[in-house]
Amino acid sequence: MTRAAVDAPMRAVGGLFAMSVDAAKFVFVRPFQWRELLDQSWFIARVALAPTLLVAIPFTVLVSFTLNILLRELGAADLSGAGAAFGAVTQVGPLVTVLIVAGAGATAMCADLGSRTIREEIDALEVLGINPVQRLVTPRMLASALVAFLLNGLVCIIGIMGGYFFSVLVQDVNPGAFAAGITLLTGVPELIISCVKATLFGLIAGLVACYRGLTITGGGAKAVGNAVNETVVFAFMALFVVNVVVTAIGIQMTSS
Amino acid sequence: MSAATTLRATYPRLIRGAGRPVSAVGALGDHVLFYARSLAATPFAATRYRREVIRLIAEISMGAGTLAMIGGTVVIVGFLTLATGGVLAVQGYSSLGNIGIEALTGFLAAFINVRISAPIVAGIGLAATFGAGVTAQLGAMRINEEIDALESMGIRPIEYLVSTRIVAGMIAITPLYSIAVILSFLASQFTTVVLLGQSGGLYAHYFDTFLNPIDLLWSFLQAVLMALAILFIHTYYGYFATGGPAGVGVAVGTAVRTSLVVVVSVTLLISLAVYGANGNFNLSG
Repeated sequence: MTRAAVDAPMRAVGGLFAMSVDAAKFVFVRPFQWRELLDQSWFIARVALAPTLLVAIPFTVLVSFTLNILLRELGAADLSGAGAAFGAVTQVGPLVTVLIVAGAGATAMCADLGSRTIREEIDALEVLGINPVQRLVTPRMLASALVAFLLNGLVCIIGIMGGYFFSVLVQDVNPGAFAAGITLLTGVPELIISCVKATLFGLIAGLVACYRGLTITGGGAKAVGNAVNETVVFAFMALFVVNVVVTAIGIQMTSS
Repeated sequence: MSAATTLRATYPRLIRGAGRPVSAVGALGDHVLFYARSLAATPFAATRYRREVIRLIAEISMGAGTLAMIGGTVVIVGFLTLATGGVLAVQGYSSLGNIGIEALTGFLAAFINVRISAPIVAGIGLAATFGAGVTAQLGAMRINEEIDALESMGIRPIEYLVSTRIVAGMIAITPLYSIAVILSFLASQFTTVVLLGQSGGLYAHYFDTFLNPIDLLWSFLQAVLMALAILFIHTYYGYFATGGPAGVGVAVGTAVRTSLVVVVSVTLLISLAVYGANGNFNLSG
């Protein structure tokens, strides 16, 4: 591998980190862009809500369907409430949040920022003496984290309710046993880990989207399309790694 | 002025709201027509544009542009399934350990990887890499009027751009998915045996006992259908991109959102169709 082939990705990673540090710094620098935060939260929520519902419901049914097969075979169908709640809160909630935040929120954000970059609006901001990181990146990063946190709650609720309806109505699990099992394996620590995961995912996806959106090289339609494509890929890769690490840490912390 | 025009001018929002279901169904019809046309043209594409198909197979599996630098679709899909297999092992080992049956982690890996996680994660990886890449390419071609140029040169654009990609995708998916499944197995095994310290023979015993070859075949069917659906959606949004360079970005985003929903739905529907409500599964063998 030539030196240039290593150079470019390393430079990109470094740039992303530098921008992340700047963005984190500007959280504490006044004036804080409350309006932009509100607008962006609404924008991401609007883009992400329909896909969240449409992904979460089939995913829930799929997971509780597979779990129930297992549990019934073990003769423990009454525990399907425990399985559904545990699956929804620890894995399905964060995973669906990853998909939505990276696949829906980050792509929309990157497309928006990317088109501003190639229209040279970002350069104009700099000429006017406005720091684009403070004005655009910090609120977007926080908005993405906030929406991810809220979506995670929504997905968990959908997960448990969907599991209930599917288990009780289709697979003939006893409704009382299902409700009693919900809190068996899932407690406050699991819920906190799930929320921390989702918030981290949102933060990272927002940063990747902003970085790729602001660093489009060359103009033209192809550049914007490629930037959005790379945003999705890099966000997915980062989030899957974070998921492994946070899951392992969370399990260590709750088990001790 | 007719009564309909007057009504439309007086209540514009009402009329637009009432027309929304109609236009949604119309859009669905557009999709179906496009899919049918591109599918019908695949034999033509496979015979006449063979060189283009071969180039696209390389591009789909190795990626284009910056993505090729980090190894392309193969590496990215493999990486995602690797991570998922690891999470599955960590979570499964700990949860099963709570009720004292962590010995069954191998069984969990054979069961969940094949039925849920490998198809869904591979589908997501495909949508993000080659799907989004196709939308970006075709969208840029549309915006730069290259598709119109093809037409005026007498080359059939749907056959040349869309059907060739479908053929190439269908050829590339089987080896890609094989790599994904193998990596998810390896990741689960590595995590359980090396990192969590379960005995290798124990893991292998439960894994081998419950790895059902028929399930694995169904899992391949899921992957192939998913790839087809992803290609349809992403080529559609790219082929009909509008609104300048910004429009391409929006098209990629919309396509990724749609295909995420489709990936999960396809997996669910095939699971329900194949395994039925009772699961077609016997723990006792």
